[in-house]
Amino acid sequence: MIEFVDVFKTYGNGTEALRGVNLKVEKGEFVFIVGSSGAGKSTFLKLITCEEAPNSGEIIVNGRKLSTVKRRDIPYVRRTMGMVFQDFRLIDKMTVFDNVAFAMHVVGASQREIKKRVPYILNLVGLKEKINCRPKELSGGEQQRVGLARALVNNPSMIIADEPTGNIDPALSFEIVGLLSEINRRGTTVLMVTHEHRLVKHFRRRVVEIHDGLVVADSCNLALEVPDEN
Amino acid sequence: MRISSVKYLLKEGVKNVWVNRMMAFASIGVLVACLLMTGAATLFSMNLNMAMQTLQNDNSVTVYMANDLPTLKSVQVGEEIKKLDNVEDCEFVPKGEALEALMKSMGDDGSVFSSLLGDDNPLNDVFKVKMKDLSQYQETAKKISSLEGVYKVRDYSDVAAKLTSLDRLVTTAGFWIVLILSLVSVFILSNTIRITMFSRRLEISVMKSVGATNSFVRVPFVVEGILIGLFSGLLASGLLALIYDKTLKTITGIVPFFQPLPLGNVMGQIVLLFIAAGALFGALGGGISIGKYLKGGNSIGW
Repeated sequence: MIEFVDVFKTYGNGTEALRGVNLKVEKGEFVFIVGSSGAGKSTFLKLITCEEAPNSGEIIVNGRKLSTVKRRDIPYVRRTMGMVFQDFRLIDKMTVFDNVAFAMHVVGASQREIKKRVPYILNLVGLKEKINCRPKELSGGEQQRVGLARALVNNPSMIIADEPTGNIDPALSFEIVGLLSEINRRGTTVLMVTHEHRLVKHFRRRVVEIHDGLVVADSCNLALEVPDEN
Repeated sequence: MRISSVKYLLKEGVKNVWVNRMMAFASIGVLVACLLMTGAATLFSMNLNMAMQTLQNDNSVTVYMANDLPTLKSVQVGEEIKKLDNVEDCEFVPKGEALEALMKSMGDDGSVFSSLLGDDNPLNDVFKVKMKDLSQYQETAKKISSLEGVYKVRDYSDVAAKLTSLDRLVTTAGFWIVLILSLVSVFILSNTIRITMFSRRLEISVMKSVGATNSFVRVPFVVEGILIGLFSGLLASGLLALIYDKTLKTITGIVPFFQPLPLGNVMGQIVLLFIAAGALFGALGGGISIGKYLKGGNSIGW
C-alpha cells in the first residue's frame, strides 16, 4: 500500500528532514506515526501526498512509484487518500452537509450521488442529526467527525490523519480514534500522526517512531516501549 | 470536466464576486477608468481620421483671380482651367456676386458694404475647381496657379498634412496609453483576485487535499475576473456614450461647422471591444493570480 525505500529529503535551506527512511505499510493496516516536533513526520506526510518530492529514494503508493507520477496526475493519486487535519479545516460559511459535499463536487460527483452519499457518511460518523448545522455550532469532537466524513466520502483506500485529536478534549480523542479503528476494520488503511501516547497505548496498533529524520522504532519489528504518562 | 462540475464552478465564481463585493467594486472602478481613457483616445483618433478623410475627399481648390483683372479676362482664364485634363468642373463666382452673398449673410449689417459694389469691390473673382483624380491634385493645382491672372490657389493639403501628423501622434500616444492601462488593469485585477484567493485559501487547501485538479481550483477565480471585466466593460461603454454625447453637443454648439463622428456608427464596436477587453483582462488577472499560488506548492499545508 505505502512503501518508502531509502528516502532522503533535504529542503532548500539545508534542513535534512528525512535521512534514509525505509518503511512498508500493508493494505488494511492501522499505523500510528509518533515523534517529537521537527522529527520529520510532516515531511513524511508531504511526501506521501505528493506535496514534496524526495531528493533520492522511492515512494510507492498503491503499487505506483510516485517519482513516475506526472504533475497533472497528482490530484488523481490524492483521490485515493482521505486527509484529516488537526485544525479540522472546515469551511465556516458552509453547513455540515455542504462541507462534506464539497469534497464530492471536487471529484465531479453528480447532485444525485451527493444527496445519496453525504447523509450515509454523516450517519456513519454519528452526525446525521447535525446535517444542517454550521461548524461553529459543533463541539471540537463533532467538527473532527465532519472532517473525517469529508475524508471518507470519496471512498479512499487510505486515511492519512495528522494529529486528528490535537485540538479536542482528551475524552473525545478516544472517540475519534475509535471511529478511525472502525473505518480501518472495514478495510481502509489508516496512517495517523500523533503525540498522544495514551491513545497509542490504548489502541495497541502498529507504532512507527520517527526521530531526527530516521525511523528509530517500528513495533512491527520490535515492541515499542511507550512511557506511561501517569 | 463534467457538466455538474462546470455548473458548480460557475456558481462559485459568481458567489466570489458577491462575497468580495467591496474589492470587486474597487476593481470595477479602476477598470472602468482605464477603459474610459482608452475609449476617449480611440474616439479622438477616429474623429481626426474622419476629418482628414473629409478633407482628402474634398478634391477641390479655390482659385482667386487677381483683384484688378477684368471679369471678362477672368472668364477667359476659367476657359483655360476647364481645358486642363484633370478638371471635372469649374464654377465661376464673380466678385460682385461674392460681395452680395457676404452682405446677405450679414443681414441688416451687410448694408455697410453697399458702397463697395462696383469698381471698388475689394474681393476677387473666384473659381471653384473640382478635380477628377485626387492623385494629380498637387500637379493640377500647380498648373492652375501658373496661369496668367491667377492670384492664389487655395487647397487643403497643408491642413490635411497637419491633421495626419496629429493623428500619428494620437495613434502612437494612444497605443502606449492603451498598453500601459491594459497592464495596470491586469495588475489591479490580479491583486483583487489574489485577495479573494487568500480569503479562500482554506477552501483551496481542502480542494487540493481531496484531489482537485489545478483547473478546478482555477476556474472560479477566472470566472470572477471575467465577470468583473464584463461588468466594467458594460459600465464603461455606457459612460463613454454619455460623455461623448455631452462633449459633441458642447463642441458643435461652439464650432457649428465641426462634423463629428456619430456615436451610433461606433457604439456597437466600442461595446464589443470594451466587453472583450474587460473579459480578457479579467481572465488574465484571475489566471495569473491563481497560477502563481498553485505553482508555489504546499497548497495542502500539512
